[in-house]
This record gives sequence, C-alpha cells and structure tokens, in this order.
Amino acid sequence: MSPVLILIFLPLLAAAAIGLIPGIKNGVARNIALLTHFAMAALAVTLFVQYDQNPANADGVFYAFQKDWVPTLGIQMYLGMDPLNAAMLLMSSIVCFTAVACSDNVKERPRTYYLLLSLMSAGVVGAFSSFDVFSFYFFHELALVPTFILIGGWGAGPQRKYASYKLTLYLTGGALLALAGIIALYLHSNATSFSFFAILAAVADSPMSESTQNWIFPLLLIGFGVLVSLWPFHTWAPLGYGHAPTGVAMIHAGALKKFGLYALLRLAIPALPLGSENWASLLVILCLGNLVLVGLAAMRQKQLHMLIGFSSVAHMGFVFMGLVAYNHIGVTGALLVMVAHGFLAALSFGLAGALRSFSPDLDMTKMGGLLKQAPYLGTALGIAFFAGCGVPGFANFAGEVLIFFGAWGHVESFALVLAVWSGLVIGGVYMLRAFRNVLHGPVSEKWSTLPDISGTSRFAINLLIGALVFFGVLPGTITQKAQISINGLVQQLEKGRSSQDAVLDAPHRDALTPNLAQIQK
Amino acid sequence: MENPEWISNVVWLIFAMPLFMCLAIRFITREHGQLSADLSSLVTGIGFILSLLVFFSMKEDIHSYFPWIVVQGLDVSIGVEINRLSVLMLMIVTGVSTAVFYFSRVYMRDDPDLSRFYSALNLFVFSMLGIVVADNLLQMFLFWELVGVSSFLLIGFWFYKPSAANACRKAFIVNRIGDFGFLLGIILVWHNTGDISFSKLESFFHSFDPEQFSSWLVPAGLLLFCGAMGKSAQFPLHVWLPDAMEGPTPVSALIHAATMVAAGVFMLCKISFMLVGSALDVIAWIGAITSLVAALIALQQDDIKRILAYSTLSQLGYMVMAVGLSAPTAAMFHLTTHAFFKALLFLGAGAIIFSVHHEQNIWKMGGLRQSMPLTYRLFLVGTLALCGIFPLSGFYSKDAIIAAAQSGNPILFFISLLVVFLTAFYMFRLVSVVFFNKPRTENASHAHEAPTGMIIPLVILAVPSVMAGWINIEEFFGTIFHHAGGANLFLLPFEHSPLPAFLGLFIAFLGAVLAFQIYSKVDEDPVVEKAGFISWVLGGKFFIDEIYRVLIACTHELLAKIAAWFDRAFLAGLVIKGSQGVIEFGGRALRLLQTGNLQTYALWFFIGLSVLLYFITH
Repeated sequence: MSPVLILIFLPLLAAAAIGLIPGIKNGVARNIALLTHFAMAALAVTLFVQYDQNPANADGVFYAFQKDWVPTLGIQMYLGMDPLNAAMLLMSSIVCFTAVACSDNVKERPRTYYLLLSLMSAGVVGAFSSFDVFSFYFFHELALVPTFILIGGWGAGPQRKYASYKLTLYLTGGALLALAGIIALYLHSNATSFSFFAILAAVADSPMSESTQNWIFPLLLIGFGVLVSLWPFHTWAPLGYGHAPTGVAMIHAGALKKFGLYALLRLAIPALPLGSENWASLLVILCLGNLVLVGLAAMRQKQLHMLIGFSSVAHMGFVFMGLVAYNHIGVTGALLVMVAHGFLAALSFGLAGALRSFSPDLDMTKMGGLLKQAPYLGTALGIAFFAGCGVPGFANFAGEVLIFFGAWGHVESFALVLAVWSGLVIGGVYMLRAFRNVLHGPVSEKWSTLPDISGTSRFAINLLIGALVFFGVLPGTITQKAQISINGLVQQLEKGRSSQDAVLDAPHRDALTPNLAQIQK
Repeated sequence: MENPEWISNVVWLIFAMPLFMCLAIRFITREHGQLSADLSSLVTGIGFILSLLVFFSMKEDIHSYFPWIVVQGLDVSIGVEINRLSVLMLMIVTGVSTAVFYFSRVYMRDDPDLSRFYSALNLFVFSMLGIVVADNLLQMFLFWELVGVSSFLLIGFWFYKPSAANACRKAFIVNRIGDFGFLLGIILVWHNTGDISFSKLESFFHSFDPEQFSSWLVPAGLLLFCGAMGKSAQFPLHVWLPDAMEGPTPVSALIHAATMVAAGVFMLCKISFMLVGSALDVIAWIGAITSLVAALIALQQDDIKRILAYSTLSQLGYMVMAVGLSAPTAAMFHLTTHAFFKALLFLGAGAIIFSVHHEQNIWKMGGLRQSMPLTYRLFLVGTLALCGIFPLSGFYSKDAIIAAAQSGNPILFFISLLVVFLTAFYMFRLVSVVFFNKPRTENASHAHEAPTGMIIPLVILAVPSVMAGWINIEEFFGTIFHHAGGANLFLLPFEHSPLPAFLGLFIAFLGAVLAFQIYSKVDEDPVVEKAGFISWVLGGKFFIDEIYRVLIACTHELLAKIAAWFDRAFLAGLVIKGSQGVIEFGGRALRLLQTGNLQTYALWFFIGLSVLLYFITH
C-alpha cells in the first residue's frame, strides 16, 4: 500500500476509533488522536527525507496511488508525493499533530472534538497528496465541514456565532466559485482526466483562446483567493481564527488555508497563462491590499489573536506576489513562505491559545512581563514574533527575500517597494509592539498564576520552532528538490505566454533593462 | 604564495565558535551563570588568538563557501571571504569582544540572568562575524538582520524596565527602516548586474568604469547607504543609539561603540567600488552633519553613557564622511582606533558606574581622581586618544580624515575641525566633572577602585588605544582601495599634511583647556544659565525625537488608523451586511450551523456533488 494512503488513514483511524468504540473515555480519545497524529507526522518526516529514492511514475509522482472513481468522467483517486507537495505534506502533518497536542484545554465534549479534528487532518493531508482535481477538492471539503462545526460548537469569544457563520459563508462561497472555475477549465481544456498533469498537458497541446482564459481565471483567482483571505475578501480570517478553538485555528490557518495558494500555483496559473497574465495587475493591487492595508490595520489591533490573524492575512500577500512573478525565484519563494507560514501560524495560534485561559480577551494593552513570568512560553512567543517579521534564521526570511528578488521587474517598482516596506517596517512595527506589550515590561498581575507550558503542548511547540529554524537555516532542503517541478511549471507558463501572443507587454527582467552581465560577455 | 590548507577551516571555526557557545549556554550551562561567563570568555579569547593566527599566516585572500539557496537566476551562498579589510575587522571584533567578555564576568556577576546575557553576547559575536566574513550582499544582509536581533536582545536585557523595553523596540524598528533601503539596494544591484557576490561585483566594476552606470548605480549606492545609516546611526536615523544605552554598559562598549555600529562603515568600505558621483557627496554630507549635530548635543548631556553615545555618533559621522570623500582607508583606520579607545572609555565608564552604585549622572559624581586613580588614568588615555592628541592612535586616524576633508571640500574641512574642538570640549567637561573637584554625593564619596578583573581589560584596551595609530595603514590595505587616504607613521602626518595635523592638535588643546577651565571647579553646569536657549535646544537633542513622534503620528500611524477603520467599517461588512438578501441568507446559514448536525452538511455536500456531476455530464 502506498505510504501516502497510510498518512491519510491514520487520522481517519483515530476518527473511527473515537466514534465507534462505545463509552470511550475522554482521555483515551485524546491519546488515540495524539498517537495516530504523531505516527502521521513521523511518517511524513520519513517520507519527506527519502521519497525520491523510490521509482516515480510517468508523471513524476512517487508512491503513486491511482484508482478510478467515476471512470466515465475521468474522475479518479490519484494520490502520491512529488517535489512540489512533499514539503506541504510534511508541514501539514506536523501542524495537524501539534494542533491535537495543543488542544489539551478543550473541556467541552472532547470526544466529538477530537473526532472532528481528526477528520480535518485527514482532509488536509488528503488534499495536499492529491493529483486529481476532484479528489483534491473532495478532501478540502472533507476538512472544511468539520471546521465549521468546530468553530460554531467549540469556539470562544463574544462574537463566536457571527464569526463562525461569516467564515462559513465566505469559505463556502469561495469554494463554490473555485469549483465553477475548475469545471470551466476542465470543460475547455479537452482533457480526458481530472489529473493536474492531464489538464496541464491538454492546455499545452491545444491552448485555450485568450478570451476563454480571461473569464475562467478570475473565477479561480477570486474563488481560491477568498479561501486564502485575499484582500478585500479577508475579513473572515482574523475574526474566524480569533474565535476558533486553538487546534482548529492552527490547522486551518497553518495548513488548510494553503489549499487555495497551492491550487493557484500548481494548476490555475500555469494552465491559464494568458488569463493570469491579463489579470496580473489586479492581483498586484489586491496583494498590496494584503501587504500594506491589512499590515497597517494589524498595527492597530489591541488583542493578541486579532493581531496574529491580521498578520497571517498580511503574510499571504507575499505568496501572491511570488505567484504574480511566477518565475523560478518567485515560485520557489512562494513555496517556502507557504511552508514557513504553516509552521508559524500554528505556533502563534497555539501559544495564543495557551494564554487564553488566563486572559480571555487577550488584550495586549493589559498584558506585560510574560517573559519573566513564563520564560518558556514567553520565549516561544518571542520567536513567533521574530519569525513573523521576517528575521533570518527562521524559514519565512528566505521565502520573503526570494519573493522580493523574483518580483523585481515583474511587478511595478512602487509595488515592490511597498511590499518590502510592509515586510520589513510595518511587520517590524506590529510585531515589536506586541513584543513590548506582551513579553516585556513589568509583570502583569494577571499572569501571577500562569503556569509555563508543559507536557505534550510543550513538545509540540518545540517541534514547530525546530521546523521553523531547520528550514530557516537549510531552506535548500525544500527548494532544491522542488526545482524540477518548478522548472516544468515555469516553462509551461512562459511557453503559453509567448507562443500565443507575440506582442507581449509582460515586464520581463531582461526586456526592461539589458542585463549587464550579458553585455560583459 | 599560497595559503596553508587549514586556513579556511580556521576561519570557519572562528565564525562558528560563538554560535556553538550560544547554543551550549542555552542547552547545557544555563543554570550556571558564572560557568557560562568563564567558558564564553575563554572561547572568545581563543577566537581572537585564531584570528591573529589567520592574519599572520594568510598569504592571499581566503574564500570558501557552500550554496545556501540555488535557484535559476540567483545563487545565494554562505561563505567566508577574508581579505586585508575583513581580517582587520575580524581581529577588532574578536579582540574587543575578548576584553568585553572578561570585563563582564565581574561587572555582571550579580545578575541572575548571567547565562542569558552571555548567550546573547555570543549570538551577537556570531552575527557580527557573519557580516565581516560575508562573501555576498545577501549573506551580509542576513547577518545584518541577526545583528539587529542580538542588539535588540541585549539592549532589552533588563526588559522588565519600561525604558529598556522601549529602547530596544526603537532600535530594532529604526534599523529596520535602514534595512528596507539596504534590501532594495541589493535587489537593484542584482537586477542590473545579475550578481550579488562581492568578488564578482568587484571584477565587474573593474572591467567597466562605474561612472557609466551612474543612472542606476547612484540610487543603488544611496539605498545601500540606508542600511549603513541605520546600523551606524547616521542622521536622521541616529535616534536609536542614545536610547540603546539602556542596555548593560559592557553591551554599549562592544556593540554600540566598537563593533556593530561600525558595521555600516565597514559595509560602505567593502562596497566602496560601487559608490560613485552624487552618492558619495550625499554620504559625505550625511556623515558631516551627523558628526556636527551629535557633538553639539553631547555638550549638554549629563548622563555619562549618553555623552559617550553621542561621541560615538559623532565619530561614526567622521568615518562615514571619510567614505564619502573617497577615503575608505582613512575610514577603516579611524574605525580601528575608535573601536579600541571607545571600548576603553565605555568600559571605564562601566567601572565608574559600578563603583558609584549604578549612578550615571556626572553631576552626582566628582573627585573620583583620588578614589579611582587607575581608572582615572586609563580613562584619560581613552579621552586623549579620542580627542586626537599626539601621539595617541586617535591623532593619526582623525588626521587622515581631516586631511581627506581638506583636499575634498572647504566646508567639510571646517566642520571636521569644529568637531575636533567640540569633541575635546565635551570630553574634558566629562573628565573634569567626574574626576576633579570633590565628591558631590554620598555614593561618589564612597567610591573605590574597580576590581582587578575589570581593570585588566581596560589596560589591555589602553595599549592599542595608544599605539594603533603607528601602523602603516596604507601599506596594510595595499591594493584593496583605489583611492589613497591620509598619511600615517609616527611623524608622517606633520610632513604629509601639516595644516590639518597642527591645526587639529591646536584646536583639540584649545577645547580641552577651555572645558577644564569652565568645569573643573563647579558643582552644576554654568553654561545652562549663561546660554539658556542654546543649552535648552542642545539638552533637548534638537527635539528630533519629538519631531519624529509628531511626524509618525500624522503619517504612518494615521494611515494605520485609516486602514483599520476602513477594514472594520467597510470591508468587514462587504459581504455580510452588504445587502438585505445576503443577511437573510446568512441568518439561514447560521440556523443551519446551530443545528450542528452532520447530516445537514452531508446533504449540502451531496447537493454540491450532484450539481458538479450535472455540469460535467452535460
């Protein structure tokens, strides 16, 4: 059996065990979830290290599992690992495990909670291991439905109901729009199957007309964009995460949310080279909305979870900018930021969750001195703040810098300047303000009974920090293997853009200014 | 002549040792503060000895690297590249670190967080060495940021004090503004040349006349200079450095006087082949303005560390001006001598503060000449070196800069001489008030000589403070820089450029004598009464902080308020409150949600699936 299948079955097994064993104790349910998720994370690490030592199939997929689902429609279950999703799978599995580990403060109906959370992880891992658009979408929905229930049923805060239904409304709407786009893409592509590779090969062979691409791309862009909190469709995110139970915020913000970006990177943009090119200027403006406007708004947040939510939305802007550029450097950077942000969002929401029981409103103006009262928790939160403003040594830095390099010449220079300003200065200001208010200063009375993190959540936090540092120091472990896949996608895009329209006004690096290194030769 | 094979491994070792030490303290010796301190001091000392070994055994440039990120179009490596410029910096950083590490063992011994202090210091040394050995711009930027982080951690070492917490945040953010320009500059250089490695860029600009690229090279140079403005605290980004004195005094000596703040100057020297035309003019003027403004402010400060901090700013301004005058040799020369005598002065100030029970106001000291004779003499050596008195090191390096200004621009020449006067004046004001007259407070009268463990590092720093000027800096750098700087060797300045040498010396004496006359017999500053308005402006540091507060409040903060309001009032309701029908739908969705019923979701899912299948089959 393909080990990727085991990756999906492990959390499903937990869900089944918790749901089916009658009279199972709460503690046992948590332990089952913990064990299976730990096994999943450990397996994902093993697979990530050695997946490419096995033979790949014709599509370049390792551990491929293919089974027809609805053969007449070309729908199949197509799972596996390739250089593009390997890091995503690793990140999602670790994030899902840490989400279970950091859920130890769930007191209300814990069995149902862990059952739904396990379903969520199965969905997340399933989505990122899918190579068939249909199973990709199916697994995403599998994860999304428990998300709604969990936020509605286990969320916290005064606006819980409002937050959960707003989130549901946005995400359902976004997913439907994206579905319409996917179907349109499939129908116009002459593809005979729903696999990513088949669709891409089909559009490469018989390119779609520019006008068709022009109306399909916005469906996909906005549809997937809403799922990733693209400005101005982002307002569900800070509110929803702020009111979601800790584990759910960790999985959704960390892993599940990347679904939309991953789909744009892997399918929508390379399959619609002209559509994405024509809509690029709009996307630049929207991603500046994320980077600058949401970043500025983050500066004004008074509550810790809202700050984390806003900053997490702002960070998505970097990935979108890398996708606008869609060259080797930009796509590599986007992939790195997706992985880095997964760990970072899980870390931040996990820590905010640990603080929540002592300060339900998480009002930063009334916090202070956490570093003194709870050194471990404080240090971990400090690391999250630093990683969040792009300090080197954590994975975000490498990704963000690559995106800036990649985007130069592909977006207007003022847009790049604003993006760098957002990354270095605005991010620095809001993260350092939080640092000052929460961690530094005299110890707040509120904390006097706060215990430091211990047990499994401490292990989970260590794991997340370790991952951020590991990929921060050695980003090559992600980027090197991914180059093959990225080469293919970038080449397809460039071919699609040059073959159909000779008079391209795409601002290419070489076209803008003659490369001096070439003059020299 | 070839290098011995082991030499690049030794450089890697020097570079990596502080990181290992930082991790070892964090994970092994955390509970044993004194052990962490002793081990770190030992390791840093070994690092210094190894740096000397590298210096004496290297026959040619050392270069060794490994790839960090390789993407088509961009190769980023992490490497060590040692030439005459960086080996000098390597020795300064490890040497001053060693002195400061030994000093802190005693100075910080009662602090319960000694291990945290030393692990942050080690992290700093590691990051600083990363800048020194960097073989490409992006590696330099990476460690540049890390230096900012370790500086943040050390300024905020006593983070439970609100003033320290505010100061470290300010330092980080102001530096980030500089780094914003730095990164854009790097991208601009890469975009136009296709490379970020120093050696390739250098050979590129050697084969072309840089002037022909001035259309992009001038903005690129200015953007890169932004990074130096942040780190080396040049006007108008200088505001963080005085506040950084909230950190422990050894930190001020190592980071905010000798090494980190010099990183900006070092970087400018390293990229001096890319600085052309009006970029150089801007750099020279910014440096001159900084040196003048900071020296003026220093006249009316009462906190011993802040006076030294403004003096550091002023001297950094000198170095930057020298770079702008195309005299990087002079800049590096002054950087070297300044590192020694300013570290000496700061550690001396630390010894004084230690003895008078952590009092920093000079008007609450006095008469310390009797109670701390040794510290007094060492501090005086540092002061004389800083004032540029013959034959101490500062005389030679400062003379090189003044000579460059003389041949460059008459106004800059005048400013540099004025600053010589101001420097001598505020330093002898400090010396007179602290060491002469009688003790003004109880604490000052009970002062006693600093312990031996603190005096020894001072003595060790005093030696190069006296003698570092006697090296032949031009011969040392050889062919690295195209432009010759000033002159040196024992009496050479007087022959080479007699006007700046004699004039500078005379003016420094004038300032020192004048300050001694005014301040050696008073208990409060007579200038405050006589020149009320000027004193008020200088004491208020030209109110630059206040101006910034207003400026930021009505620009960046205002934008943030508008963005937050826009987000809350408009976008948040975009879909939800937008239309009545949507609200109706939302209400239904909410009711569905409240059932919490899996079947409902299954139903929706099924409906979605059917719609999908319908579309596909038709």
